[in-house]
Amino acid sequence: MMKLLPLIFLLLFVVGISGTPVAGEQKASVMITGYQVSPEALMYNDIGTVTVTVKNMEAVQSVRILEASLLEREIKVLSDPYVSIGSLGPGESLNLSFTIKAGYTDGIYYPRLLLEAENAENIRYQIPVKIDSTPLTIGVKEIPEEIVKGERTEIKLAVGNPRPNTVTGVKIVAADENMIPSEVFMGTLSSDETKVASFNFTPQTRGVHTLTFSLEFKNGDNPHSAALSIPLNVTESKKSAELILTGIELESTLRMSVYKITGDINNAGLEEARSVVMKVGEGAGIEAVDPYKAYFVGLLSPDDFSSFELDVKVDETVTKVPLLIEYKDDEGNLFSTTEYISIERHQTTSSKELPVSMIALLVVIALLIIGVVAYSWKRR
Amino acid sequence: MLDVLINPNKFFEARMKGAESLKIPLLIVLISGMISGIAAFLMTGITLEMLRETLPPEALGLASTIGGISAFVAAVIGSLLIWVVFAALFFGISALLKGEGTFKRTLEFVGYGYIPMIIGGLISAVLLYNFISTAQIPHVTDPTEIAEVITQWMTKNPMVQLSSIISILFMLWSANIWVFGLRHARNLSTKNALITVGILVAVYILYSVWQLGVLG
Repeated sequence: MMKLLPLIFLLLFVVGISGTPVAGEQKASVMITGYQVSPEALMYNDIGTVTVTVKNMEAVQSVRILEASLLEREIKVLSDPYVSIGSLGPGESLNLSFTIKAGYTDGIYYPRLLLEAENAENIRYQIPVKIDSTPLTIGVKEIPEEIVKGERTEIKLAVGNPRPNTVTGVKIVAADENMIPSEVFMGTLSSDETKVASFNFTPQTRGVHTLTFSLEFKNGDNPHSAALSIPLNVTESKKSAELILTGIELESTLRMSVYKITGDINNAGLEEARSVVMKVGEGAGIEAVDPYKAYFVGLLSPDDFSSFELDVKVDETVTKVPLLIEYKDDEGNLFSTTEYISIERHQTTSSKELPVSMIALLVVIALLIIGVVAYSWKRR
Repeated sequence: MLDVLINPNKFFEARMKGAESLKIPLLIVLISGMISGIAAFLMTGITLEMLRETLPPEALGLASTIGGISAFVAAVIGSLLIWVVFAALFFGISALLKGEGTFKRTLEFVGYGYIPMIIGGLISAVLLYNFISTAQIPHVTDPTEIAEVITQWMTKNPMVQLSSIISILFMLWSANIWVFGLRHARNLSTKNALITVGILVAVYILYSVWQLGVLG
């Protein structure tokens, strides 16, 4: 028994060593194995995310992550720090995401990730975040030198991405109602990539027009826009067809308030006018009636003319009848002009009342006859 | 001659003493007929003008000339016929009222009664000319539509209506002369002379008023 005592003490000693921690023990290993900033480069005031990957490098031992936070003065961290995250098994990884908001100064910033784990060294890790507010560029790629009223003009716009990252949802919206299409969607635009969009513009009036386009895109989830204004000087075509009405006559017909308008339509321009159609314009108390509600003239060559005929019913108050002239050029562009025809009603034929002078004449004649008859009977 | 207008009783009383003569009455009726002929000439011109898009220009010019002259001649002949017809009717009606006298005398006195219608015809012709010179002449493609246009003018146009009313007034004046004329020519009482003339003139006036659309 006495020989066993030293052996028992040795055993207890060994057990005691293994069950009690001692100063200078090696701590568990936790590492930041990766990070991701989305979008890759933020613009002013953009909101993005920073995602870090934390990995337990131990082969057998779990590590309990206590707290993780991201700190930076220039970049605002919108999300709260992670607290009591939980245990990370051996070899396991964990992604931690932080929401950030960019400031107003471009540059590269290094927000610090502070990670605190039980039985592990605290981790301080700097993550580079780039703020670059360079916008997309939009410009005119092609535009005709001369823009003519009523003719379709193709305008090509180029959109470039000088940013270091890809942007999405790129589209150009036209503000002018005479622009077709009103919107062109271009989708994703990679860094240093350029895409071209085409618009067709048909000006209806002469003079200076300002075309306004809005370029819209997304950097991550953040919408951005840029504007482009293009001043244009719209002129009349020097060669286009020029339709002139001559020999206009307005004649009353058998039908009440129905007039027949006849005349000649002449092409005084240097180009052909195709599909020329004459119509009675709209207006209060004006109604086109059969048999010629509209008159199809067809092709009208330069220096050529054609007769036309229209039937219109007008109210008593109407003094002018609008005539609408529509035609197309060789490219199918539709042109329209309106001419007004005055209605002159002859008082003697349209008035339902006798002029005062005529009534006076009638009264004088009646009195004269009555007087003469009375006199003849008196002298009988 | 002025007496026939203002004092027809005295005029016809004096004429009864003279021989029956149709020279002056014929002249009066011819003048009246020629004035009616002028109006007919104008109306023919305006009627053919409606067909200016239907007829070729040469045909239109020829038709205007021939038509106008024909209308003039027809109006003159028509006036002479109406004179005779009126006299015959007066003679017949007065015969029923036991009137006595020759038809020639009746024809003579009825002819004198055309004098007011010369004045009335002149005024109506001036008014008609005024209407034609300012009217919007519609184009018609179907000649049957011409009657419709003229009816519209008769019933709707104040100048044409005024012309018709004046004709009626002067017809009343003529009727007054005829009353005294028949009284002497057919030896009627004033009452019977009034009835004789009144029946025919009333029919004529009613027809004229109906043409104006007042009774339509």
